Amino acid sequence: MDEQNGNGKSAASGPGEALISMKNIWKTYQMGTEELHALRDVSFEVRRNEYLAIIGPSGSGKSTLMNLIGCLDSPTKGEYWINGNLVSDMSDDELARIRNKEIGFVFQTFNLLARATALHNVELPLIYAGMRAAERHDQALASLTAVELGDRVTHRPNELSGGQRQRVAIARALVNNPSILLADEPTGALDSKTSIEIMHLFEKLHSDGNTIILVTHEPEIAERAHRVITIRDGRIEKDERIK
Amino acid sequence: MKIATNQFYENLKMAFDTLRSNKLRSFLTIIGVVVGVITVMLISSIISGIGLAVEKQVKAFGTRSIFIYKQEIGIRFGRPSREERMRPDLTLDDALALRELSEVETSVPFLNVSSGFFGNRTIVSAGGKQTQNIQLSGTLPEIEKTETQVLIEGRWFTQSESDAKSDVCLIGDTVKDTFFPYKSAIGETIEINGREFRIIGQLQKKEQLVGGGGGNNDESNTIFLPFHAALRIKPNADDIFVLAIAKPGRLNEARDQIEDLLRVRREVKFGQKNNFSTATADSIIDQFKSITAGVALAMVVISSIGLMIGGIGVMNIMLVSVTERTREIGIRKAVGAKRSDILLQFLIEAGTLTGFGGLVGLGIGWILTLLISIVFPSYVPWWAPVGGFFASVGIGLIFGIWPAWKAARLDPIESLRYE
Repeated sequence: MDEQNGNGKSAASGPGEALISMKNIWKTYQMGTEELHALRDVSFEVRRNEYLAIIGPSGSGKSTLMNLIGCLDSPTKGEYWINGNLVSDMSDDELARIRNKEIGFVFQTFNLLARATALHNVELPLIYAGMRAAERHDQALASLTAVELGDRVTHRPNELSGGQRQRVAIARALVNNPSILLADEPTGALDSKTSIEIMHLFEKLHSDGNTIILVTHEPEIAERAHRVITIRDGRIEKDERIK
Repeated sequence: MKIATNQFYENLKMAFDTLRSNKLRSFLTIIGVVVGVITVMLISSIISGIGLAVEKQVKAFGTRSIFIYKQEIGIRFGRPSREERMRPDLTLDDALALRELSEVETSVPFLNVSSGFFGNRTIVSAGGKQTQNIQLSGTLPEIEKTETQVLIEGRWFTQSESDAKSDVCLIGDTVKDTFFPYKSAIGETIEINGREFRIIGQLQKKEQLVGGGGGNNDESNTIFLPFHAALRIKPNADDIFVLAIAKPGRLNEARDQIEDLLRVRREVKFGQKNNFSTATADSIIDQFKSITAGVALAMVVISSIGLMIGGIGVMNIMLVSVTERTREIGIRKAVGAKRSDILLQFLIEAGTLTGFGGLVGLGIGWILTLLISIVFPSYVPWWAPVGGFFASVGIGLIFGIWPAWKAARLDPIESLRYE
């Protein structure tokens, strides 16, 4: 482990070759006079091109963990490194930059902009990255084509099926070539046939070299990953490699 | 910088999308701004139009002209005071005395004989037509030297015609149109209260602000007669207006001399106010400007109120919009929007909304000023649309700050969960 480089500028700094490194993470909420520990001393690492599922019942702290991994929130205590960046101490704007560059979100309810076309939805992260229009258009189109929606670019979300919407969301998540693809119950709002399609897409993306973290409460979905972390009462209960 | 303009352009595009998808709401929101801008356009154009016309009209009297009358000259509100009405009349001798002053080139009286001996209106007729509302003015041959009337046909009357009280006259453009629309009036006779006058000259139409077309205020609806010939129409005529012409570049000196002389002649005691008034083109224009400045101030207040109400409407609708779009804000933050991005997005949206309102107001205001300009002199000064547009954008930016700041501060996790 090499940690001399505290500011986390390059991929070589930070702990080892791990893409994500969580060390003794605590997340505590103050509920009146009582302290509620959503995460207690959580530590784990994720390497490049891993396919990881985080599973746990509701209230186990897996949503809190997902928000931390996704840089939507900061831990109360502990260190969190992502791709060589120490994000646990970052300001809101720095976190926004990390979310833009390092993380691709896929949500249960898709979270697409209803009034925007598929293409514009996919372009969104590139707009905030400050990319020029022509380049942005090409890159978004390539990303949509990669999820086989190249012929649906001008459709709005309400003109697409659930599976197609989720694929737009995946295209959006991947358009910036993020370090990790972070999916929160990605099949939760889909029927079983479409769910299987989406899971196949994740497997393909994994085999293309993407790092995927899947948060779910369904064991059958988690089983498709190569590694499963089970979380309960804010602690890692099990961390097993299944493939 | 390129990235910044790029983002700005994106935000502008998004703002227009939002406006388009909420047409009715957007329209209702901007009504206040629209009305405010229309007010600015209309009032400023009318004020500027009147100002320009007044200037033109007064300048047409000549930059060396000094008007002298027993009552106050200029724009007045209400009836003259009792003191003013009781003032003694100016006389022919007053007008002649002014000619002796070193700074005065010439001066002429204008004797008003528009109404007859018993106060009845003077009747003018020719070629079977008859009218009562022509202004009749008795004057001296030196009127030619004042260069305040332009002769387009014929000649002025001579000193000998004036001395002989000859029955000759010059007619204004409107008088010609009334009696001799299709032929030259020179040499024709016109009957004034039963006396026949020979027409020897015709005058050019006068630039006029309001009241053209033959009414009492139409300056071209005038007949000029020799002073003493006019006195024969109305022997007791005493309503005299004097026009003096200063030597070139000596306007103020001439005015001082005139006032000093008239104070002596009219026996005004030391320390008392003049019992007559003098005016120059500039003094009338200045007087007009001080009045329009007051109107302009009232305009600023009225339109500010309109814009304020519009601004509060914008703030209200933006707050609703922020709440409605909480989830959108969460999504944007999740994919990398910074606080400043969200702030900018909503500010630009508010500015676009009111700026659009401003443009609508300018459009409607422009059409209205065009309509007004048909009946009334009006022109839109360049600063009115520019100021109106920037004020409306500014209103959006100012009243959009709070909603935009609220949006920027939303917590991404909470926002993504928002239903």
